[in-house]
Amino acid sequence: MKSLRRFFTRLFNLASRRAQDERLREEIEDHIALQTAENLRAGLSPIEARRQARLKFGGVESVKEDYRAERGLPLVETLLQDTRYGLRILRKNPGFTAIAILTLALGIGPSTAIFSVVDAVLLRPLPYPRPQQIVRVWEQAPDGHRMTLTDPNFEDFRAQNHTLTALALYNDGPESVSGGSEPARVNVGAVTQDFFTALGVEPFRGRAFASEEQIFHGAPAMIVSYGYWQQFLGSAADLSQIRLTMDGTVYPVIGVMPPGFNFPPGVAAWVPREFVYGVSTSRRAHGPSCLGRLRDGATVEQARADLDSIARRIRNEYGEKVDLTDAAVAPFADAMVGDVRTALLTLFGAVCLLLLVASANVAGLLLARTSARRKELAVRVALGAGRGRLIQQFLAETLALSFAGGVLGILVATWGVNILPAILPANLPQQQAIAVNTPVLLFALAAILAVAGSLGLFAAWRAGAGDLHETLSAGSRSHTDAGSGQRLRSFLVTGEIATTLVILVGAGLLGRSFLRLISTSPGFRQENLITMEFSLPIPQGQAFAMDQSFIARQVHLTDDILARLRAIPGAETVGLAGALPVAGGDDLPDGGFLILNGQKPPANFDEWDRIAQNASQVGKAFYCVAGEGYFRTLGIPLIRGRIFGDQDDLNSPHVALISQTLARQQWPNQNPIGQVIEFGNMDGNMKPLTIVGVVGDVRARGLDFPPSPVIYVDYRQRGMNVNSSPTIVMRSAGPAGQVVSATRGIFHDLAPDVPVKFSTFADEMGGWLADRRFLLLLVGLFAAAALALAAVGIYGVVAFSVTRRTQEIGIRMALGAQRSDVLRLVLGQCGRMAAVGVSIGVVASIIITRFMSSLLFGITATDPLTFVGLAALLSLAALLASYIPARRAMRVDPMIALRYE
Amino acid sequence: MKEKTDVLQGTLALMVLKTLDVLGSLHGYGIARRIEQISGDLLAVNQGTLYPVLLKLEQEGAIASEWGASENNRRARFYRLTREGRKMLQAETQDWQQTAAIIGRFFEVKAEDLP
Repeated sequence: MKSLRRFFTRLFNLASRRAQDERLREEIEDHIALQTAENLRAGLSPIEARRQARLKFGGVESVKEDYRAERGLPLVETLLQDTRYGLRILRKNPGFTAIAILTLALGIGPSTAIFSVVDAVLLRPLPYPRPQQIVRVWEQAPDGHRMTLTDPNFEDFRAQNHTLTALALYNDGPESVSGGSEPARVNVGAVTQDFFTALGVEPFRGRAFASEEQIFHGAPAMIVSYGYWQQFLGSAADLSQIRLTMDGTVYPVIGVMPPGFNFPPGVAAWVPREFVYGVSTSRRAHGPSCLGRLRDGATVEQARADLDSIARRIRNEYGEKVDLTDAAVAPFADAMVGDVRTALLTLFGAVCLLLLVASANVAGLLLARTSARRKELAVRVALGAGRGRLIQQFLAETLALSFAGGVLGILVATWGVNILPAILPANLPQQQAIAVNTPVLLFALAAILAVAGSLGLFAAWRAGAGDLHETLSAGSRSHTDAGSGQRLRSFLVTGEIATTLVILVGAGLLGRSFLRLISTSPGFRQENLITMEFSLPIPQGQAFAMDQSFIARQVHLTDDILARLRAIPGAETVGLAGALPVAGGDDLPDGGFLILNGQKPPANFDEWDRIAQNASQVGKAFYCVAGEGYFRTLGIPLIRGRIFGDQDDLNSPHVALISQTLARQQWPNQNPIGQVIEFGNMDGNMKPLTIVGVVGDVRARGLDFPPSPVIYVDYRQRGMNVNSSPTIVMRSAGPAGQVVSATRGIFHDLAPDVPVKFSTFADEMGGWLADRRFLLLLVGLFAAAALALAAVGIYGVVAFSVTRRTQEIGIRMALGAQRSDVLRLVLGQCGRMAAVGVSIGVVASIIITRFMSSLLFGITATDPLTFVGLAALLSLAALLASYIPARRAMRVDPMIALRYE
Repeated sequence: MKEKTDVLQGTLALMVLKTLDVLGSLHGYGIARRIEQISGDLLAVNQGTLYPVLLKLEQEGAIASEWGASENNRRARFYRLTREGRKMLQAETQDWQQTAAIIGRFFEVKAEDLP
């Protein structure tokens, strides 16, 4: 209580310092006057009386000091004083101050910006109630890989588990939705009944699906996203009149999800999965993803054990008809983030290293200045400044510096966060949450304080090292002290070189992976390709198996479109396929097919399953619908046999082409042509396929995957069901813009309800490469910044050393040293730093880059070429940076240098 | 050196309180004189050290001060004991006497007295 009161009085006193000083002065004067009067009465002379009075009073200054110490808050007061002093010193050295602040901003800005991404994506909980209870569920194959679920297995999981309150299937894909302000091609999610319950989110307007809407052939119903509602439905308050059409079915809109609800990511509308697909009975037809919510108190581990036992029961009951052995359960947040984590942590690691390099650079600057300020410090110590006071003074200075740098850095980060959405890969979850908010500012503050603290203590430690009194008496300068400071600076720069090499190697590995990736041939010519992705309406109930009559209508429409497209001036070749290879590779379905070997094709899926129990008769491949023009347009070579032709129609025997990889895998040293296979599990059509040709390999799933085994079927025989994302490719010599506007007109004439996404293959590839490019761009930028800082650091050390050794160099030259000797002397110093730094950096890189091997393509994390190349680049930069001071050293005039002292 | 000031300050504070208790309102010089008279050498020099102590006591609320006129008609700051100060003085006096008694007993003890 007493101390609290004293504190507040002191705080108040801090503000009224001047009045208090005045009061003391007056009291002292009064005291001395009274004593003088007394002395006068005792008979002393006036002068002596006053002298005695002063003597008796004691040291006025020390009383004042004690008084002040008693009165105010000495720490705050001296801190204010030190800050003022520090600011004055910083103002007096504008060059140093500006460089230090900019350097720190360069370190703090990017790390803050990247932290905002890390915070939003990795650290912040997902925007669902009790997100830690949400889990992803998979079936697990005997080899441990996770598979999506099958309907019957899911039903067993759902009905028999004891650890989950909700379990739901979901999948999503592009669909044409019309009926809003304009038709749009958007992603639509198909979800089972507990989907919204599992996530714990309810529609913000309207209602969730009712049970009569969640059955096959039930009542259609659709829920739309907040974004779609705003953009296409004009934020209508009354939903009752709104109808949207998708795949020929009219859906009443029954609800709008709240803003920010974005799962599956990018989805604009949700429909009941049961309504769209019905329920498949195959326990091998994997498709939908699965998520659930744990019961209160249940752990992920318990849920896994629970589902495991159900999976084993299924396995025991159905044997070879199923391909799962157990279940996998993982926290939803982990599954969401997935492989983004490595990329983000790599990025964050790179910025932290950059911050380290920046701090080391400023430390080097401070060190140089400390040696120059030793005399001032010696005077302060001689006047009674304690060690604590010196440290405090340095801390005040570095605090001022790093706060200025930090504020500038935060401004940079704010700007960066605003432009980040433009370069962030679209698949990054939670990116709408990226912002400079309180946690991010706290991170920046922590960085500022850490930098200020370590720099201040470092500078104070260096300043206090050695005997300061000697500095005072040693006259002009002390070589030994400067020598140890110089060693320390070299040490700092060596560390900077090592750290920089780590970032450079990281960027280099990413860069080389990127180059390898884009120079990997996808298996066809990529130039001048225009792509048109569209989706044809599919009648209700025919999403999987389609009627012959509907296939005929589909073929009629697409053939009309293709014919008109071929007639466009500039169009060289036009073709159609079920997915765009590489960029749209994720859209390709895959599954097991049967090799019939003369056997009768199965009549139904039970028979299918029976034949599949003989492992030698089962192969695995991607299923791709294509037309003859597709191969010609992309330039995929025919290796043997023939391509689809006019003779292949609905009524003729169905034919298939296979990729070279599949031919090699499935029929090594045999001729696959003439083999009969059964792939009806992809399109519900049990008609067997005869292989009539082998075509060249295409990296269908992406450049970073080996060429995939693909079975191509003719769209005119099999039609394009939900497993296909119909895409027309056109090679044209003309300018893309003109051709696109012509094709747009054709689509408008022939299929006005079908929205089309026009693009070029180059653009699609650009999108596909976006996340890699983003990572490479940022890490590359940080590496360049680190390299620049390191070069500046090296320059600083060498230049300082040359200035200090001017006399020595003069003597050497006077004794006959040649300019080349001097050059060697100076560059030698730099060479030593670079050699040690690079060696440490190589070792550190080998340790650190292992963690990013999942981001690399075609090279290992210890790619020798990258290591050697970047070590050479860094050494070269170091030599260049020291060449400037070296040239100055070469021009030293011995006579002037000797008189220099 | 620092410790010595602390002891001095502690005892000085007590002396100030007692002086004000006995003599009522007094200015700094008056307090110094009074302490000097009673304590002899302790405050013969460095009378100035009194002022930080006065400030401390005032900040603790033990004494209060106001401007008044001194005997030679100068403006002077007069200090007086507050109620809180009186309580503090009582407590401190008791403490002091206890401490003094204990220390005193220690000094009286001789080796042969110990059992």
